[in-house]
Amino acid sequence: MNDDLKEQLKAHAGLAALYEQAVAEIGQAATSAELEEARVRHLGRKSGLSQLLRSIPELPAEERPVVGKYGNRARTALEQALAARKHELEAGELTRRLAAEQADITLPGEPFPRGHLHLITQTQWEIEDFFAGLGYRIAEGPEVETSYYNFTALNTPEGHPARSLHDTFFIQDKPDVLLRTHTSPVQIRVMEKEDPPVYVIIPGRVYRRDSDATHTPMFHQVEGLAVDEHITMADLKGTLEAFAKHMFGAGREIRLRPHYFPFTEPSVEVDVSCMICGGAGCRSCKHSGWLEILGAGMVDPNVFGFVDYEPDEVTGFAFGMGVERIAMLKHGITDLRMFYDNDMRFINQF
Amino acid sequence: MKVPVSWLKEFVDTGLSAEKLAERLALTGTEVERISHAGLPADGGNLDRFVIGQVKSRAPHPDADRLSLCEVDLGGGRSEQIVCGAKNFQAGDKAAVCLPGGMLPGRPEPLRAAKIRGVESHGMMCSEAELGLSGESAGIMILPEDAPVGARLVDHLPLSDDVLELEITPNRPDCLSMYGVAREVAAVTGAPLAPEPVADAAPRGDDTIGELVSVSVADERLCPRYGARLIAGVSVAESPAWLKARITAAGMRPVNNVVDITNYVMWTLGQPMHAFDLARIAGRQLAVRRAARGEKIITIDGSERRLTPDMLVIADAEGPVAIAGIMGGEASEVSAATTDILLEAANFNGRSVMETSMALGLRSESSTRFEKGLDQELAPKALAMAARLMVEITGGRLVPGEIDIQARPFMPAAVRLRPGRVEALLGIRVPDEEIKSILTRLGFGVREKEGELLVTIPSYRADVEREVDVIEEIARVFGLGLIPPTLPSDMRVLGGLSPEQQARRSVARALVERGLTEVISYSFIAPDFGDRLRLDADDGRREVVALANPLSVEQSVMRTMMLPSLLTTLAANLSLQNQDVNIFELGRIYRPAAGEDLCDERRLIAGCLSGSLQGHSWMTGGGTAGFFTGKGMVEAIFASIAGDFTVERASEPFLHPGKSAAIVAGGRQAGYVGEVHPLVLEAFDIDTPVVAFEILEQELLASGAGIIVFEDLITYPASFQDLAVVVEVDRPADEIIGVISDAGAPLLKSVRVFDIFTGEQIGAGKKSVALSLEFRSPERTLTDEDVAAARASIVTALAEKLGASLRA
Ligand SMILES: [Zn+2]
Repeated sequence: MNDDLKEQLKAHAGLAALYEQAVAEIGQAATSAELEEARVRHLGRKSGLSQLLRSIPELPAEERPVVGKYGNRARTALEQALAARKHELEAGELTRRLAAEQADITLPGEPFPRGHLHLITQTQWEIEDFFAGLGYRIAEGPEVETSYYNFTALNTPEGHPARSLHDTFFIQDKPDVLLRTHTSPVQIRVMEKEDPPVYVIIPGRVYRRDSDATHTPMFHQVEGLAVDEHITMADLKGTLEAFAKHMFGAGREIRLRPHYFPFTEPSVEVDVSCMICGGAGCRSCKHSGWLEILGAGMVDPNVFGFVDYEPDEVTGFAFGMGVERIAMLKHGITDLRMFYDNDMRFINQF
Repeated sequence: MKVPVSWLKEFVDTGLSAEKLAERLALTGTEVERISHAGLPADGGNLDRFVIGQVKSRAPHPDADRLSLCEVDLGGGRSEQIVCGAKNFQAGDKAAVCLPGGMLPGRPEPLRAAKIRGVESHGMMCSEAELGLSGESAGIMILPEDAPVGARLVDHLPLSDDVLELEITPNRPDCLSMYGVAREVAAVTGAPLAPEPVADAAPRGDDTIGELVSVSVADERLCPRYGARLIAGVSVAESPAWLKARITAAGMRPVNNVVDITNYVMWTLGQPMHAFDLARIAGRQLAVRRAARGEKIITIDGSERRLTPDMLVIADAEGPVAIAGIMGGEASEVSAATTDILLEAANFNGRSVMETSMALGLRSESSTRFEKGLDQELAPKALAMAARLMVEITGGRLVPGEIDIQARPFMPAAVRLRPGRVEALLGIRVPDEEIKSILTRLGFGVREKEGELLVTIPSYRADVEREVDVIEEIARVFGLGLIPPTLPSDMRVLGGLSPEQQARRSVARALVERGLTEVISYSFIAPDFGDRLRLDADDGRREVVALANPLSVEQSVMRTMMLPSLLTTLAANLSLQNQDVNIFELGRIYRPAAGEDLCDERRLIAGCLSGSLQGHSWMTGGGTAGFFTGKGMVEAIFASIAGDFTVERASEPFLHPGKSAAIVAGGRQAGYVGEVHPLVLEAFDIDTPVVAFEILEQELLASGAGIIVFEDLITYPASFQDLAVVVEVDRPADEIIGVISDAGAPLLKSVRVFDIFTGEQIGAGKKSVALSLEFRSPERTLTDEDVAAARASIVTALAEKLGASLRA
C-alpha cells in the first residue's frame, strides 16, 4: 500500500517530500524518545503535514482534491509506521532491560522456615500408622495409675522387684498409686470395657526410677494387644515381622527368643537382623548379627481372668517396644539422653 | 550365673563350641550375656607351655642364698634347669612348670628363658597365686604324687576355661546351679545327662547324730524343710587345688576346705549350705524360730545385726547363731580349731528370706537362691554330696544318722495337656512323639490318659503350674524359629486414628509448618515453679501431685503447667547459642483430684516463641516474637481444626499485664497467650522477650467445626468497601468490629482490620483504624445503592455508639 501511496503522492511534490522525510525519520528513530520527537515533528499540530492539511481551503483549486485525498492517507500511513516502529523499539528495549537484570541465582531463596517434630513423635506416628493400617485402633489411658492396673491385673506377683520403691515412682501419701511403668495397664482398661475382638496399640509416656547413660526416668512405649478367636503365636510372629520390615527395611528378618514376663506365656524377646551390618556382625549388634527390639508373648490366661475373658474361647498376643530404642536403631543415635536434652541442634536434624 | 565349660562338661558333653552352645541356649530361653575366659590364656598354644614336672635335684644357687638351682624332669626324657625362689619343696616333689613363652593370667608379657644371677633358668615353677588360684601363696604349688609327669597341667587341673555368663530369669531358679544348667543344656541339645553327683558317704562309728545334737523347727511355714548331718574329726585346712580352681572359676574366693565344700555343693546343685562348729553350739541344740524382739547377732562379716520378730533365725541355747538362709554368725563359725561340724541344708521361705535380706541390707549367694524359691527335694541330696566330699577331703567321719525335718513331703503336681491346644496357641503342629521327648528331657513325667497327656512336674520346676506353662516348655525347646509367620485373619474390626487423634496431629503439623519445633520434656518438674512464675499463694496450680520417691528435687512434682518446662528448655537452648528458639510441646498436666486415686490429667498444647519465624537471610532481617506472633500462632492452631476462639484481657501473674489474653472457646476458658513477664524471664535466666501460650486440648477440639457445609460464594459476587475510623486510642478493635457487624447485618459478610495509624494528623489520644468490609447476598448481586445504604448505617452506628468519625 505504501508503494501505491508513493506513486499517488507523486501527484503533489510537497506532500511527497513531507511524507518521504517523515518515513525516513520514523525509521531512523533509535529510541522511544527520538520516535516521539519524530512524531511531534511530522504528525504534531505544527508539523508540515498538519499545516498542509489545515491549509487545503487556501490551496489552488486543482491541488485541493489531491492534497485532501492523499494527505489523509499519508497521515494514516505515517501513524501506522509510527506504531510499528514503536513496537519494534519497545521489544528491543524490553530485551535489553531484561538482559541487564541478572539475578545471582546462586543466592538462597527467600526462607519459609519450618519447624520439626521431635524424633520420638515422628517414630511414634510411624509405628501408629503401620498398625492403624493393619486394623488396630490407638488406645490411651492415664499416666498416674494404680498398682492394680499397673501390676496386679498384669499378673505381677506381690514382692516382684518392679513393685518396689527402688524401681517405680509412687505418689506421695498414696501407696497404691504410681507413675505407670509401661502402657500395659491400658490393655486391662480396654479389655474391661470391651468384649473381644480387641486390636489396639497403646503409645505413651512411661516412667521408671532409673537414670544413667542408658536409662531416662521417663520414656515412650508402644504396646500392642490382639485378642480374638484363633490368635496364635504364628500371628504374633507374622505381625512383628511385617512391622520390622516396615520400620527397618524389606530385607530385615526377625527371630524370637524365649523370655519371661509375668503377663505373657509363652513370652519372647524379638530380635531384628542388624540393619547396620546386614546380619554379618558388627559393633552395634555385638557381633551377633541381631538387635533386640521388643518383648512380646501370648497373653497369660491369668490376665484374661482379671478382665473376665474366657481363656478357652479367646487367645491373644501382646507386645511392647521402646520408641526411643526403635528411633536409636533406625537413625544411629548412640545416647538415649539426647532425646530429652531438647537441644535444637539434635531435634532439628530430623 | 557364671558357668565354666569344663565344669558343665562333668555332667553333659554336647560336642558344641562355647559359641554354638551359647546360641542354642539363647534361642531356647537362657540368655548368654557373654562368653569370657578364666584362668590361663588359651590362645596361641599357651596351654601346651604349662606341664607337670618333677624336681630331680635341688641345690643352692652359687651366688644367691635365697635361690635354689633345680633340675626338673618334664617327661619324655626332657629336663630343664630352673632357678626357683621358693623354699617349700624338695627333690621328688611334683610342680606346675611354666615353660618359656608361657602367658600367665594377668601378665602382659610371656615368660622368658633368662639368666638369674648368672645362671640359666628355662622355666618357672608356679605358685597358686601365679596360676590365679588364690590371692597370695607362700611357695610353689606342690602337686599330688600321682600327677603324671610331662602331662599338660590343664588336663589335670581346671585352670583354663571358657565361661558362659548366663542371665537366669527369675522364673528359672533351677538354673542357678551347674547341674541345673547341665539339665537345661541336655534338654535343648539332646545330649545325654550324667546322673546327679549325690553319691553318699558311708557312716562310721557307734554314735548317732541324734545323740549329739537336737534340732527343732518352730515355724514350718518359714522353714518347710531342715536337714543336717554331722562330720566328726575334720582337719580344717586349705582346699585341694582342683577345688580352689572350681571355687575361683565360680567367682568366689577359696576360704578353707569346709567352707569351700559347702560353696562347691551350692554351685553344683543350687542348695545353699551352712557349716556350724559343733563345739560352739551352746547346749548342742538348734531351734529354727523367729528372732525375739531385741535379739542381735554378729554375722561372719563382722557386723552386728539387730533382728526383728519377722526374721527367721537358727538359734542355740544362748541365742541366734545364723540368720536363716542369709548368713551365719561369727560365734559358731568354722575355724582352724574346729574338729566336728554340723552341716545344714534347709529350705527356707523365699519371700521371708528376701524381706529379711532387704531389711538388713545384706545379700549373699545363699539369699539370692532362697529368694527365688528353692526345690525342697534338694536338701538331702546336697547333704549326701557334701558328706562324701567332707570325708574325702577333710579326713572326717560321717556320724551315722541324719536330721530331716519336713512338715509336708513333696507331692509332684500333674497338669493336663489337651490335644490340639499346642497348635491352637503356637500356630504350628508339634508331633506327639516330639512333645513327649521334649518334656521327658526336661525331667517332666509324661503319661497318656483318655486322649490327653498327664504331665508330672518335677520338684525343681515350680514355675510350671498350668497347661500353658507346659506349652511354653514345648515351644521353646521345639524351636520358635520353626513357627511360621502369619497375620490374624478375619479381624472384623475397624482400625485407625480417632478424630481427636487426627486433630492432635493436625495441630502439631500446623505448628511445625509455621516454624515451631516440638520438644518433649519430663512430666515432673522442680517444686519451686510457682514462685518462679509469681503465682499467688492460693493459686490452684500450686497444688501438685508429688512423687514419694523422686530421683531428685528437680524432678519431684508432676507439672500442673507446661510453661516451666518450656522456659527451662528455652533457657538451655539460648545458653547454647541456638538461634530462633520457637518451641511447642503436646503433653499432659496433672492436678490432684479430690477423693480420687487417679489424678486429673489433661492434654495441653503449649508453646514458647523467642526468635524470628521468618528466618535469617540476605533478604529478611529476622526479628523477635511479640504478643501478636503468639496470638497468630494460636489462630493457626484453631484454624488447623476449623475451630474458633475469642480473647479476654488476662490477669496471669507470669504474663505482661498489657500484652496477654485469656483464650475463650465455646464460652469456656481454654488457655492463655501473652508475653512472659520480665521478672519471670529473669527467674529462668532468659534475657530475650518470650511470648507463650497454653491451650487445653479438650476445649480446643470442642471448638472444631465438625463437618463443613458448603456455602455459595460464587454465584453472586461480593462488594468491598474500605473504611477508616477515628476512635480513642485505647478503643479495642473487637468493639469497633462488633458495632460494624451489628449495623451492617445482614449484607455485611466480614470485617478485617488492615491498618492502625496514629499521629499528628489524627490528633492526640486518637487512632485511625482502617477496615475492609465485605458485603454479599446469597440471593442477588448487590447494587451500589444496597452497599451505600449498609455503609451509611454502619457510619451512623459508629458515630452514635463509639463517637467515631470517618477519617478525612
Ligand atoms: Zn551388626
